[in-house]
Amino acid sequence: MIIRFLQRHREASVALIIVFLFAVLGLVDHSYLSLDTVLLVYGNSLILFVLAIGATMVMATHGLDVSVGSIMGLAAVVAGLLMNAGWGLPASIGAALLVGLLCGLFNGVLVSLLKVSAIVATLGTLGLYRGFVYLLSGGSWIEGLPENFKALTKAGSLGLSPVAWLVLVLLIVAHLGLRYTAFGRSMFAVGDNREGARLIGIRVNEVQIVAYGLNGLLAALAGVIFASQIGFIPNTAGTGMEMRAIASSVLGGVSLLGGTGTVLGAALGAYFMTSIDSVLVLLRLEAYWNDIIAGAILLVVLITDGKIREAVDRLLRYQKYRKFIDPQAAAQHGDAAKAATRPLKTALETSEARK
Amino acid sequence: MKLHPALKRWESVLALLLIAEILLFGAINPVFLQPSMLLYATSDFIHVGITALALTLVIITGGIDLSLGSVMGLSAITLGILWVGGVDIWVAAVAALAVGTLGGVFNAVAIHLSKVNPLVITLGTGFLFGGAALVLSGLAGATGYEGISNFDPAFVNLANLEVLGLPLPFALFLALTVGFMALLHRTRFGRYVYLIGQNPRAAAYAGTPVFRTLVVAYALTSLMAALSGLILASYFGSARSDFGTTALMPAITAVVLGGTSIYGGSGTILGTARAALLVGYLQTGLQLVGVSSHVSSALSGGLLVIVVALRSLSEMGRVWFQHRRVLRNVAAE
Repeated sequence: MIIRFLQRHREASVALIIVFLFAVLGLVDHSYLSLDTVLLVYGNSLILFVLAIGATMVMATHGLDVSVGSIMGLAAVVAGLLMNAGWGLPASIGAALLVGLLCGLFNGVLVSLLKVSAIVATLGTLGLYRGFVYLLSGGSWIEGLPENFKALTKAGSLGLSPVAWLVLVLLIVAHLGLRYTAFGRSMFAVGDNREGARLIGIRVNEVQIVAYGLNGLLAALAGVIFASQIGFIPNTAGTGMEMRAIASSVLGGVSLLGGTGTVLGAALGAYFMTSIDSVLVLLRLEAYWNDIIAGAILLVVLITDGKIREAVDRLLRYQKYRKFIDPQAAAQHGDAAKAATRPLKTALETSEARK
Repeated sequence: MKLHPALKRWESVLALLLIAEILLFGAINPVFLQPSMLLYATSDFIHVGITALALTLVIITGGIDLSLGSVMGLSAITLGILWVGGVDIWVAAVAALAVGTLGGVFNAVAIHLSKVNPLVITLGTGFLFGGAALVLSGLAGATGYEGISNFDPAFVNLANLEVLGLPLPFALFLALTVGFMALLHRTRFGRYVYLIGQNPRAAAYAGTPVFRTLVVAYALTSLMAALSGLILASYFGSARSDFGTTALMPAITAVVLGGTSIYGGSGTILGTARAALLVGYLQTGLQLVGVSSHVSSALSGGLLVIVVALRSLSEMGRVWFQHRRVLRNVAAE
């Protein structure tokens, strides 16, 4: 039953690991077990949250976007340059988001209309957009961002910054939007079975382009948050974030094969990735342990998940062919799991023999 | 007009592009055409090519290896740590290659055990190996991204050694190209690689040793990545854990630009080798003309997008023409 539950609710397994991590932290020092720690980690994972929402949408359509790091950098540079050129805050952020949207739409067109495979197309635009970053910034850092821009990520009401509230709203809207709206479901339909989705009247290409476009928009938002958080914009802003975003989503149960996953799971994955950072700091371990721990946990989760999925598949297949194998066993529901380990090959051979 | 079949091949197009590119840069800056310039420029990018050769095998099987960048750093750091620990540099180099190979075996076993998409698994092992490199360099006191240097001069000189008038890394690349061509196009193992990429289920039913083939393919990729890490360590005279971070994407670019299908089942080593040179010389040439290295990486990204989109478009066009011809024939009857 537990396995079934974890299989249905992939988010639960990540939630368990997060709770476990906090428990370890609590054992070391009780003073860390507070709302402050939770909020601290939340504040540190804003960028990853936003990216994970986008990654979930794209991965739901059986796509992949490795260019988000570059879109982040590009949007941050656009916002920074415009602000330093005297544009207002809303106008420059709006322009940055627009640039992100356009980048995302371009990815979408490449993938859906030109039928370039997602990883190749976005690999190309990863380099392309990063080049635009250097062209625009002239290779130098952008500094001296206005104070009211930096204030967007300073703690405000209830210990959360304005941007943190915005991200919270975004998470809720995206989670509900993907689960309960027709458009959200159509993304999963496209990812699960593209041709089938087309036959039931979903505009497959449009759905894909919009998913990439929204992903670009969200990556741009992540770039703006990044710039606001650290107060200057290096040329390398956002590099490597694509891998962290994909890892977060995968950890939270979003399948790279499309069709399954929730924003809640991806968000928990992102929260976990960041909490490793924070826990290491709190445990006074050197920061260089971060990646190896993240990688090890990611692998353990993936391999166990793969194993569980395999077992469930085998069980389902057994249920399907049970009546061909052994009429007596079919009567006994109890030891289904035990018999499920029997390879399909023998099952089919038996059914052949019976004919 | 009938074209010779060899000219229709994608590799020939790549060769023409490569020649056109070198002539174009040569016209702008004649320095580019000097043989020594052309040969020694390769040292800046040949590690990408060497890794891409083996990555071709993995991509033809329908997989991918995102961990190779981390393996480069891990092998370089392993070398550095053993050297600091007083181990002979050549023993340390062999150990670094062994660590790399083990990484590849680990990838293949993890993919086989979990039956999860190789993309995801190698993403995870990428974090793991990269993290291991960081931890090792951190424990060795070379905290963060600071390198380990002061290697044996004999090892550092290796990258500048000449073999038959060619710089050693480039000579190694040529030899490996021939080796991998023989392996992929002339052996049973090579045919298995294609078969697994075309149809893994059919391959399994046909009695192909799928797991063994995958282990060899991934181990070779990691071995080549480790070798590239050593070449970089020799070339720069220091070992850093972040050596390979920028090499992953160009390596995949070279393989895909070389005509290998990212879905597996088709591709050639020669294509990858020529594409690696094409992309590498594009960057060097642009830098020589005075374009900053960052913009040139953007252009190679743009090149990848354009080439792949054009190939996809031409494929769509071909299918469309075929349909039209069939429909016409039907109408004529």
